[in-house]
Amino acid sequence: MIRIFPSLRFTPLLSAAKPFCSSSPTREPQQYASCVEAKTAPVPNSLSITPKTPLFLRTPSHATSLSEVWKWHDWAKDLASSVEESSKNSEDSLDPVILHRELKWLIEDSIIDDPLVILHRSEIADGGEKNVKLRASLAELYDLWRQRIEKRRPFQYVVGCEHWRDLVLCVEEGVLIPRPETELIVEMVEELVTSDEQYKKGCWADLGTGSGAIAIGIAKVLGSHGRVIATDLSPVAIAVAGHNVHRYGLQGMVELREGSWFEPLKDLEGQLVGLVSNPPYIPSDDIPGLQAEVGRHEPKLALDGGFDGTDSLLHICHGASRMLKCGGFFVFETNGEKQSKMIVDYMMTNDLKDYFSDLKIVSDFAGINRFVTGFRL
Amino acid sequence: MLSLIIRRSRSRFINGTKIRTCILSSSNSLSEADSVLVSRRSFNSTPSSSYFGKINRNHVSTTRSLSSEAVAVASTCDGLTVERIIANQWPILDESESDWKSHAAAISQSIQVIKRRLQWKKLLVRLKVLSAELNKPDLWNDPNHAGKISREHGSLTGKMKGVMTFERELLEHIDMLKLAKEENDSELESETLKALIDMRRVSKEKELEALLSAENDTCSCYIEVQAGAGGTESNDWASMVMEMYKTWAQRRKFSVTVVDEAPGEIAGIKRATIKVNGEYAYGYAKAEVGVHRLVRISPFDSGKRRHTSFAAVAVIPILGDGSTRVQINESDLRIERFRSGGAGGQHANTTDSAVRIIHIPTGITATCQNERSQHMNKASAMAVLQSRLDQLEMARQTAMNAQHTQSLTEISWGNQIRTYVLHPYRMVKDLRTNYEVTDPDSVLEGDLDGFILSFLSSSLDKDDPGH
Repeated sequence: MIRIFPSLRFTPLLSAAKPFCSSSPTREPQQYASCVEAKTAPVPNSLSITPKTPLFLRTPSHATSLSEVWKWHDWAKDLASSVEESSKNSEDSLDPVILHRELKWLIEDSIIDDPLVILHRSEIADGGEKNVKLRASLAELYDLWRQRIEKRRPFQYVVGCEHWRDLVLCVEEGVLIPRPETELIVEMVEELVTSDEQYKKGCWADLGTGSGAIAIGIAKVLGSHGRVIATDLSPVAIAVAGHNVHRYGLQGMVELREGSWFEPLKDLEGQLVGLVSNPPYIPSDDIPGLQAEVGRHEPKLALDGGFDGTDSLLHICHGASRMLKCGGFFVFETNGEKQSKMIVDYMMTNDLKDYFSDLKIVSDFAGINRFVTGFRL
Repeated sequence: MLSLIIRRSRSRFINGTKIRTCILSSSNSLSEADSVLVSRRSFNSTPSSSYFGKINRNHVSTTRSLSSEAVAVASTCDGLTVERIIANQWPILDESESDWKSHAAAISQSIQVIKRRLQWKKLLVRLKVLSAELNKPDLWNDPNHAGKISREHGSLTGKMKGVMTFERELLEHIDMLKLAKEENDSELESETLKALIDMRRVSKEKELEALLSAENDTCSCYIEVQAGAGGTESNDWASMVMEMYKTWAQRRKFSVTVVDEAPGEIAGIKRATIKVNGEYAYGYAKAEVGVHRLVRISPFDSGKRRHTSFAAVAVIPILGDGSTRVQINESDLRIERFRSGGAGGQHANTTDSAVRIIHIPTGITATCQNERSQHMNKASAMAVLQSRLDQLEMARQTAMNAQHTQSLTEISWGNQIRTYVLHPYRMVKDLRTNYEVTDPDSVLEGDLDGFILSFLSSSLDKDDPGH
């Protein structure tokens, strides 16, 4: 795995960001801030960060009596049911049905025995005398469930992983939790590479990879010849993505480079056969009103897309014209209806109009026009 | 396990009496000695081996053609057959009575029941057809078809041989017993009696096994419950029915996963699908297809009036890899996020990634929300959809063969099959078999086997009037 160290990230940012740097008040200072921070050591770069071990990978070293676990389970169920009355009318509320399902998954992740000893306790003959091995102490389980409900900590951070496609990806605070919609990016790539083998052999890039979800998903559909370079500005993201790449044994195929968007890809100009990204696209004004799990816990860096949410997207569109080789494919995730249309319009006019063909808007399973795809001419 | 022990003890004593059997056979008129009996022993070391060897060879040629020609009827040295034992109407006494005729009569009856349940005559005809197919030189031009034929042939041959072996064992024991009596060998006599008692016990198990011998009976399955009209009251009943199946399946050591569940507004469920994994899950559960009716004082009615609610149950087999499955065109599908709404994408963090798949040409849909990723929910929903389409196709073919048509609703949901009365009296009664119990609680807690077995046996008895 090649790492681009902080010094490399100081190549001129502004030239790359030129077309829109005036319209990106929040994003650019942020990037600089983090870069400056990186320069003036102590360096929080990805090498010094050890990703947290998700619950399901921890050692089951906590022998706990079954009756105590049942007590916790009863308490947790009651807490989950109690949210119904308190928050029924507010728009941003917890759903007890979903919470009960999450509780079941929390148990599955915490126990090596059959989770049914907890979920269907009547099946056990010897009552609660038996001990079960847990991957976290009961005290921690109480704490985790309280965090989920009272602090609205996302379930994926609570258990430290997100099931995405057929992958189980480690996630933690500082890394965006991959969304179900984003799975479709990998599906589109899969469809393309199955119909045209050429795309399997070239180099792909995933910009702002976060947990590494898309990069790993693509590497798996590319097969043995694939090569994916994943970039991220956040050292935490690079560390977590590296951990995930390692877990799937894809070190030879996915290369992580720390840095802003195309910065770490200078050596690959005009060589990429595919470019994908799920960049921050939420308009800055919407950030304060986000769902508690998102607004309070997920990294703003991965969410805030500037004034109208398109800062990063437009930057990436320009980059795509330089980085992709002829026939190269791209797919970007967007905020939906208005934004996807805006991106397509932008790419069909201005100085980008001669660079791309077959621009398309693809909707997600909820019917929202989520993605923009196309090819480099 | 049980049958293994029996087999072991039997072979021991057969070896011990090898010579004596031989003497018996030669002292009786040899023409009476049944070829099947003879062939099962090794006579090569006996003085008259050449003669027996001949019979043996004759017999081998019979077995080879068993499946395509007439099946040799097994009998004892003095010509006693299972049918004659039954015709003799020997009284069947308790197992503890050491009367061999009673044991023999009980076992013969079981064999008759097993044959009826396996639809013996049809089975033999089918085997003949399959053997003819297998002998065709161009069979493997269509490997799919050939595989299907040879699998079915193998499975039917196995069933047939199982019964015939059991039948022969019985007659051998009878021969042995008569010999023991003749020779006043009390040790052999008691040993043989014991073997008969063991056979009698095994025969009861075999009767049950034979209930589940239809195509796909060994498969895992989906069980679906849908609440009838009537809102909360029906939704509550539907969830009671679903719970009944979950506990039933767990008792039977099947694994249960919830694939899809649509909760009712106030209580219960509008609809739910569970996947029941395990051998014979479909064979048992298929007996539950139909509408289940509940009569009780509604806990949701402040006026404490009596209510009648309905829940419909569908059971769908999950066909094995070997079976021919319906081809689904990607372009015939519409896939939707199940509970969409809101901006989605980065705006929303939810662990809910349920999808619904709609098969446009048939209108059949499938939903899954139990998995932890959208991708897996989609795969799981696709599996349900596949099984539903397979079932529809099977039903279509059956209807074609039977020259009658059933509506889709009838195929998947059936008619009213059972009533559960909690008030004014307490009873559960199956309308198809009239089987009933007076303890609804035990039934609702999953004690369904009585209903299932009585239905399965009655439907098979009805099916095959030839026996």
